[in-house]
Amino acid sequence: MWAIIKKEVKTYFLSPIGYVFIGIFLLAFSISFNLELGYSSGIIDFQNIFVYIFTYLPTILVFAFLIPMITMRSFSEERKNGTEQLLLTSPVSITKIVIAKFISALVMVLIALLFTGIFIGIICFFGTPDIPAALVTLLGFTLLCMAYVAFGIFASSLTENQIIAAMISIVTFVITWVLPEFIASGSNFSLINMFYKFTTGQIDIAYTLTYLAFTVLCLILTITVMQRRKSAR
Amino acid sequence: MIEVKNVTKKYGSFIAVDNISFDVKDGEIVGLLGPNGAGKSTTMNMITGFIEATEGNIIVNGYDISKKPGKAKKQIGYMPEGVPSYQELTTKEFVKYMAELKMVDRKTRKEEIENVIKQTGLEEVQNKLIKNLSRGYKQRVSMAGALVGNPDVLILDEPTVGLDPKQILEIRNLIKELGKKHTVILSSHILSEVSQICERVVIINKGKIVAIDTPENLETKTQNKNVIYVTVEDKNEKMLRIKDKVKDIQELEYIKDNEDGTKQYKIVSDEKIDLRKTLFDILPKEDITIFELKKAEVSLEDAFMKLIDDRQENTNIKQENINEKQKNTKKENKDVEEGVTSTNEEEYLENENAEKNVEAKSVRNTTEQNRISPEEDSEKTELKDNQKEIEKEKGGKE
Repeated sequence: MWAIIKKEVKTYFLSPIGYVFIGIFLLAFSISFNLELGYSSGIIDFQNIFVYIFTYLPTILVFAFLIPMITMRSFSEERKNGTEQLLLTSPVSITKIVIAKFISALVMVLIALLFTGIFIGIICFFGTPDIPAALVTLLGFTLLCMAYVAFGIFASSLTENQIIAAMISIVTFVITWVLPEFIASGSNFSLINMFYKFTTGQIDIAYTLTYLAFTVLCLILTITVMQRRKSAR
Repeated sequence: MIEVKNVTKKYGSFIAVDNISFDVKDGEIVGLLGPNGAGKSTTMNMITGFIEATEGNIIVNGYDISKKPGKAKKQIGYMPEGVPSYQELTTKEFVKYMAELKMVDRKTRKEEIENVIKQTGLEEVQNKLIKNLSRGYKQRVSMAGALVGNPDVLILDEPTVGLDPKQILEIRNLIKELGKKHTVILSSHILSEVSQICERVVIINKGKIVAIDTPENLETKTQNKNVIYVTVEDKNEKMLRIKDKVKDIQELEYIKDNEDGTKQYKIVSDEKIDLRKTLFDILPKEDITIFELKKAEVSLEDAFMKLIDDRQENTNIKQENINEKQKNTKKENKDVEEGVTSTNEEEYLENENAEKNVEAKSVRNTTEQNRISPEEDSEKTELKDNQKEIEKEKGGKE
């Protein structure tokens, strides 16, 4: 399993995808940061600015579009190139393969998030940010990303076409994002709305569990798909 | 040891593999043979656990592939059809990754990787990206991926497809070498290859096993008559009367006149009787000089065609016709190579494509016309018709 994670992460950086992913994320983050500075019209709330950046639409949106970019290839590409034959005939079990793919995509997200430490550093230089709140926000964001990544991996296991895999993820993200606008109870299904609770600086146990459950569900679905394909191939 | 027991694979109502059973003993090289779409790759994919059989069991070294996939897969090195590999990795990285996937012991891993790279002749390209390698090297990289970890069982799906003759020879020798220590299953549609490498052959057609035997047995099994071709100088036209003198001759047939005045005959006898010695004794006494005497050998190719055709009675007649024609052309070519002047041969060699062959046929026909009586061989008449058509065309153009 470790071998797969190592190879996957390495492959992300062998192609431009890894760099583009981190680059665009940081760009969006910087724009959010800049907008926030402009928005505060002179009186900068150093304590909460880091948390505010995350509530900006671009960050979340871009991430919603960026995550499919790294998850879309995980199974689709292997299937298209026939390398899944190598992977699936190795002694590594399907469960481990799926988990390894999930972790390696998540590692990419975590690397991107690590870079946001730069912004904390900048804020520290000018004022005193609310570090616990920032960490809780990061935790919430990581949980949100975990759910996204797991779903992206699932979408990738459905098709050998990477573009379709990405489209499935993006459409699903957009639907869960706009759903609360149309249906009153829709906010219960919105992964993003759940994240906003974390930006208040509280760890919401129910939402944490929801994220984890969603992640596990997606991974189980992926494993099921992979196992079923064995007899349908 | 691989045991395949009553394995069936269905896709909806389509049966890709139909209740096949065979086993491969330790250290044996077995060839899976069959036309395209016969179910070779499907069978191999089932043995490796890539796809699941609808019915039946596959046991690799005592482990059932569907019940204990981890342990069973550890026994297997698989080289899939189309040699997939991770293009963005270098040769060495790929082999290393495969070694890690196969859980090769960390202590011996490095040594193991180096050995495999050496064995497959990849030292020169070990630091090159796989996507930049030529087809032959890619094939070897895939082979190295299968070999690493020294698995007991090797499953090679069309290992020599797309290689040049030298590489084919190298890969074949490598497989033979590997067969000493490993159990090998390979698939191929190159029959000469299978008869050279494999100790046993499993012929599959339309998902069913047609025959399992050694290549030699298959050749002799399908041969039910002993056929001898004899080229003689026969000034007194006594040859056809030989049949009365030698009782064992079942059939004596005039084939053709050669340009040097000799004639070729075909002599058929029962499969148990070899007439060559008798002919050598008798013909000189009849004042017939033997120029050439040879036994017609049934190749694995003939055996294969026969076995496939036997089972294919109700199916695609068109396909059969094509096969038949190809066989005829081959026969034709042999005849031509024997007797015709060099210019014609050159012309033939130039025309390698089937389309161009028609032209070649017409050229050959004009030279052979005089020597071959049309009644004798139906294929010749067919060719003549062919030639007429071409002549018509030519006439039209003029």
